[in-house]
Amino acid sequence: MAGILFALPSILGLMLFVMLPMLASLLLSFTDYRIVNTPKFIGLANYIRLFDGTDPYFYNSLWVTLKYVILRVPLGLVFSFMAAFLLNMQFIRGKSVFRTIFYLPSIVPAVASSMIWLWLFSPDLGLFNSFLEALNLPTLNWLYSEQTVVPSIVLMSLWGMGSTIIIFLAGLQGVPRSLYEAATVDGAGALRKFQHITIPMMTPIIFFNLIMGSIGAFQVFTEALIMTQGGPNNASLFYNYYIYRQAFQFGEMGQASAIAWILFIIILLVTVIFFRTSKSWVFYESEV
Amino acid sequence: MNKAKRVAGVVLSSVLTISLLLTGCSDSGGGPEAQGGKNGQKEPVTLKFSFWGDTIEKKTVTEALERFEQETGIQVEPMHVPADYLTKMTTMVAGNVAPDLGYLSSGAALSWGRDGKLLNLTPFMENDPDFKKEDYLDQIWYEIEPGNIIAMSTAVEGYGLMYNKDLLLEAGVELPPTDANKAWDWDTFVEYAKKLTLDDQGRNALDPNFNPDKIRQFGLQYDPYNMMAAVVSNGGNFLTEDGTGFGLARPEAIEAIQKLADLMYVHHVSPTPLQTKNMPDTALQTKKVAMTVSGNWALQAFAEQDFNLGVGVLPKLKESNTLLDGAPTVIFKSTKHPEEAWLLYKYMTDPESVLPLIEGGLWMPLKKEWYTNPELINKWAAGNKAHPEGYTEAFMKQTIENGFRTPGFEVKNLDKINALVTPALDLVWTGKQKAEEALKGVEPKVLPLIEGYYGR
Repeated sequence: MAGILFALPSILGLMLFVMLPMLASLLLSFTDYRIVNTPKFIGLANYIRLFDGTDPYFYNSLWVTLKYVILRVPLGLVFSFMAAFLLNMQFIRGKSVFRTIFYLPSIVPAVASSMIWLWLFSPDLGLFNSFLEALNLPTLNWLYSEQTVVPSIVLMSLWGMGSTIIIFLAGLQGVPRSLYEAATVDGAGALRKFQHITIPMMTPIIFFNLIMGSIGAFQVFTEALIMTQGGPNNASLFYNYYIYRQAFQFGEMGQASAIAWILFIIILLVTVIFFRTSKSWVFYESEV
Repeated sequence: MNKAKRVAGVVLSSVLTISLLLTGCSDSGGGPEAQGGKNGQKEPVTLKFSFWGDTIEKKTVTEALERFEQETGIQVEPMHVPADYLTKMTTMVAGNVAPDLGYLSSGAALSWGRDGKLLNLTPFMENDPDFKKEDYLDQIWYEIEPGNIIAMSTAVEGYGLMYNKDLLLEAGVELPPTDANKAWDWDTFVEYAKKLTLDDQGRNALDPNFNPDKIRQFGLQYDPYNMMAAVVSNGGNFLTEDGTGFGLARPEAIEAIQKLADLMYVHHVSPTPLQTKNMPDTALQTKKVAMTVSGNWALQAFAEQDFNLGVGVLPKLKESNTLLDGAPTVIFKSTKHPEEAWLLYKYMTDPESVLPLIEGGLWMPLKKEWYTNPELINKWAAGNKAHPEGYTEAFMKQTIENGFRTPGFEVKNLDKINALVTPALDLVWTGKQKAEEALKGVEPKVLPLIEGYYGR
């Protein structure tokens, strides 16, 4: 009884600020609601116009977002795992300095880092193109070409992987030393230890970061809002930016709610699939 | 039994807590008014005025609101929203806490006006003996349908040519005419622009050895955002005259848009959108660009820079004309004090109230007299740095006499149409497609969204 009372603040918070708005948006997704009118029930019309292609942006934004997720999630995992692995090495000096440096981008507000990267990506004066030029390589248009805009934003997002790196680092430090020592006694080399101890022991952490990374990647938004506004030619019209535009620029709240619910279901499905497959590859020490 | 009681207890206490929270919120919301009522005094009226703009605009508008407060005793709470303006307004309107009056983007104003969220100004104008609609310019009204006017433009913005005089004199180019009858035709304009475009060796674009990959100084910057100026000069418009067709896909508009794209990719006298990203705001001053096509507001920034600014009328395709742009100020229907809101509205439309912004080059005034009475003209359009010699002819006269209203004033559903047209035009401005291909290509998707003009 008292327990429930103590938990009441968070229960209430969840009810009032998560469940209730979600319920409201679900109901709104079946209505014609443009903020300035009273919502009118229109059944599934908001959903139908998305799937039958009446809305010219829906499939485009799904595809763009999917491209981003497919690039960003594996690259992000590999990059942050490798960074964490290096930051955990015995022989690297000044580790705490490097750890700070790798984490630093995570505390820079997204708006500020977007501005910095706008400069780096700048086709004429940007650092990246000057670098390519110095190596006599062809320069790229980065954010300003349909082909390179999504990879560019992925590249930028890798820079801000600090918190994933920290989680991996904590995981690496949690791997029992006794296992490595035993393997050394058995004559295992560094590669073997990595393959047969580090990776299996890290699978729960990898799994966690995979789920969180995927959810985060599906919701990519700020970069499109600040740097590209969905352009060029809708090549970076990410799903969340599309929701934002529909809701706050066109004022189509009913439609935006429907679009948002489809994303919710997609993320739910992806997460369920990951959980289903996890049994075959995630190893929990405590379960042995 | 016991368990049921416990559950009931939890439910009861939660309900109590929630209701306490909720009443707590609503109490604090209604505080000041309730107090005023208790003391038996007349309720002090407070109006909330929302607006966007840079620091200069913020200062001038806030000062104007303060003067209004002193003159009338009506309290005004300025709400300056520097970014994401429409998002904020949308949220406030959805949450029933909209300001009493303020700026609004034209697309939102017209569609909210159609849905009855904004006050119709007509009865106020008719019942106010101090107000004469004829005193104001005819082009500045946002009219949903005859008799339902939801806004005046906050200011007038005409378009014209602005240039660094020293660069033109150096290159031996004739200065752009300020008289509409003498406006450059397109070929003359392109030729002069070529003379003013220099590569890193100092060769201009007419030189056979000119290197278009190493341009040091561009003859002209023509922001594609301003393309409607070329379209109307060629006799086109955004929609067809009857409001049923997609005007930008008509030959006259296609021709104009292609000519603009050719400035970048055929004549190499104008920076591409990519190159524009790297142009500083001081491109004229720093001699990166010799001439630019922009709206009146740009004069404010140019006046603060140190160079020899000149102005002229736009080059013509078929006729010499220009664009008349603006953005509405509206009164929200949810206001509790419509009479006081109208007083403030009227006050802010008076050029005298916001003179620093007009004199400083950001705005052009709303009242006709300020364009005809020499004494009033001298208050803003002459004798200061933002309004160089020739301004009264090239901008003031041209805008009033030959200014076409931008589509934002009257095209229904414009935001959604533009969401399709802008990406299509991206392909033209980046040189990937011809104007005809891009605009004809997007036309079938645009047609179902076309709903005609407001106010007709």
